Amino acid sequence: MTKVITRRTMMKTVAAAGAASAIGGQTVYASEEPLGIALVIPSPVGDVGWGHALAAGLDPVKAAYGDKVKVTIIENIAEGPDADRIMNKTVADGNKFLIAGSFGYQNGGLQIAKRFPDVTVLHASGFKVAPNFSPFAAKYFQGTYLMGMAAAALTKTGKLGSVSAFAIPELITSVNAFTLGAQAVRPDIEVSVVWVNTWFDPAKEQEAASALLAQNCDVIFSNAQDTPSVISLCEEKGVYAFNLNSSMVKYAPKKYLGCVATDWSPFFKASVDAHLAGSFKGANAFLGVAEKVVATVDWNADIPAGTMTAIKDSEANIAAGSFSPFTGPITKADGSEGVAAGATMTDDQIIAMDWHVKGVVTPLPK
Amino acid sequence: MSPSYTFRHPLLVRRESASLTMKFLAPLIALGVAVLFNLALYVAIGRDPVAVFYALLIEPFLSWASFSEVLLKASPLMLIAQGLAIGFRAKVFNIGAEGQFILGAIFASAIPIWFPAATGQWIWPAMLVLGALGGACWASITAFWRVRFNANEILVSLMLSLVAMQVLNYLLVGPWKDPEGFNFPQSVMFQYDALVPTLIPGTRVNVSLLITLVLSLVAWLLMQRSFQGYKLQVGGLAPRAAGYAGFSESRAIWLALLIAGGAAGLAGAAEVAGPLGQLQRSISTGYGYAAIIVAYLGGLHPIGIIFSALLMAALYIGGDNAMVSAGLPIAAVRVFLGSVLLSYLISLAFVRYRLDWASR
Repeated sequence: MTKVITRRTMMKTVAAAGAASAIGGQTVYASEEPLGIALVIPSPVGDVGWGHALAAGLDPVKAAYGDKVKVTIIENIAEGPDADRIMNKTVADGNKFLIAGSFGYQNGGLQIAKRFPDVTVLHASGFKVAPNFSPFAAKYFQGTYLMGMAAAALTKTGKLGSVSAFAIPELITSVNAFTLGAQAVRPDIEVSVVWVNTWFDPAKEQEAASALLAQNCDVIFSNAQDTPSVISLCEEKGVYAFNLNSSMVKYAPKKYLGCVATDWSPFFKASVDAHLAGSFKGANAFLGVAEKVVATVDWNADIPAGTMTAIKDSEANIAAGSFSPFTGPITKADGSEGVAAGATMTDDQIIAMDWHVKGVVTPLPK
Repeated sequence: MSPSYTFRHPLLVRRESASLTMKFLAPLIALGVAVLFNLALYVAIGRDPVAVFYALLIEPFLSWASFSEVLLKASPLMLIAQGLAIGFRAKVFNIGAEGQFILGAIFASAIPIWFPAATGQWIWPAMLVLGALGGACWASITAFWRVRFNANEILVSLMLSLVAMQVLNYLLVGPWKDPEGFNFPQSVMFQYDALVPTLIPGTRVNVSLLITLVLSLVAWLLMQRSFQGYKLQVGGLAPRAAGYAGFSESRAIWLALLIAGGAAGLAGAAEVAGPLGQLQRSISTGYGYAAIIVAYLGGLHPIGIIFSALLMAALYIGGDNAMVSAGLPIAAVRVFLGSVLLSYLISLAFVRYRLDWASR
């Protein structure tokens, strides 16, 4: 089996930890015991997807620290009382570093952070911050914008589709940037979205994809599915598709458009470093191409060379910080002004984005 | 005359009288067989079997913190199973406790969601009452179809559980969504007075455990000591005799379903007003279905169910422990749970039946 996640040289610092080390102030633990790191995720680790990407992000930490860390991965944990108990249990077992891998673990994770000041908690996709509790999220939108450019070059119908998990800002921004990227190449692009309201239901996700294909969408964005459900169906139907987190090219050798991959290892490594140095400071970690957490990989060879050059240019500009997909003028789906000409949305605005851009034809669930 | 070379299949023959000793030993033998079987499995997948069994079977009882979680998990299982067992003994097979649980949770949540600023110690009791009503209402749909049109209550109640899940989804992505929740399908966190008071300080066990135990006693009084319970049991054991005696079948169906629905609804209410503190998608991790197993493991007897609910909850908590402490994959935990139940059913069959190789 090929390890699909690209492993890049680890960075010495990432934005969040960089700011953190300047402040410090927590007790330094110089114990002989290995640091227990527990990762709790809502779906199976599997070979691909969100849980897999999180688990793979810990590999470089293990490689760097060897037997100084002990990693426990607990998969398939439903959000709710069970997750709270299991997270408490990991801490009771002596783990001092907890990665709560789902939005729904927020309240339970926050309670642990408050009760155990010596435990560091990283929480996926949330918005609450505490001194030892950092929410983290990927700037997927930087990658989906590039995917949109490729999709617009390949679509015949001008209709793109997305099977999306939940209408939370993280995924709304992914769809919006995908739309904006496509419109940058072909202004008349329309995007339909099906919100399936699940992180893991392959059958339902395939039904949603079939519905989009029936509406003549000919490039599909599998927005936060943990299995190749959508990707493999699209391969079967001869339709281009791409996904987030980790490459699924082996499930769609012909029609795989590419992957907006996440590599959490720079962030995990920096956070573990900070925890061990006693300098961890909770902060909102919103990480993208510049921090090497988000990267596009496995581009399809069918994408025209000219488009590919434009994509690579845009990616370089995003990495350099000289371009953001959310730079005005942007019109909302309801026709009102979203972002004024020349203005760029701040991270805080992007994290709270609750509207679709013009061109997304499916109304947002209210 | 069968020729001597033919293979003889053994026959299951009902024992004249089941041994009382064996009846009590059967669960222990079953547990032993399952443990041995899984021991081999853990060695095969390269896990330390001692560490796994320590986490799975011993650890839940070692610390108060762990055992309190067993009690927390046992409470809804026990409550739902008590309600279901009453119906099962009357041969009313309500398989839809899951849906009734969900409706109970929804009804109970209406108060804190509509009146988030309300205060006072009346809130949580009112939520529990509303929850029981909600579950009973949902079960009454099944009762109506069964009594009025003789629709199979197994199918109706089971499918209504799927409908209940969709009702919950609708509310959570629609009118009851937390406006501050970043569009995530969950309600606001409930106010303090909407939470059932803690029973044991420092744990998550709340007063609903007491309610469950009291209702278990009520179930015992109803089934073992009351004329109504007698009528229900006769209806289940000998429906025609019950008919001749003038015991109304429709009355029994209504009663069985309303009791089970009310109990499941109450359990759902206690869950959102207890450890959850909000309405969300995963309010039930299959309590309604697991309670069916609990009811049968407990021999459909109110006292037996108290123990089977505790056992089942301990296995769940132990399974979680084994995942965290011994690195056991969740699939292996489920294999363990499944093999315990399977070997129990097999050993139970041998208490009542014996293998006969000779007579044919």
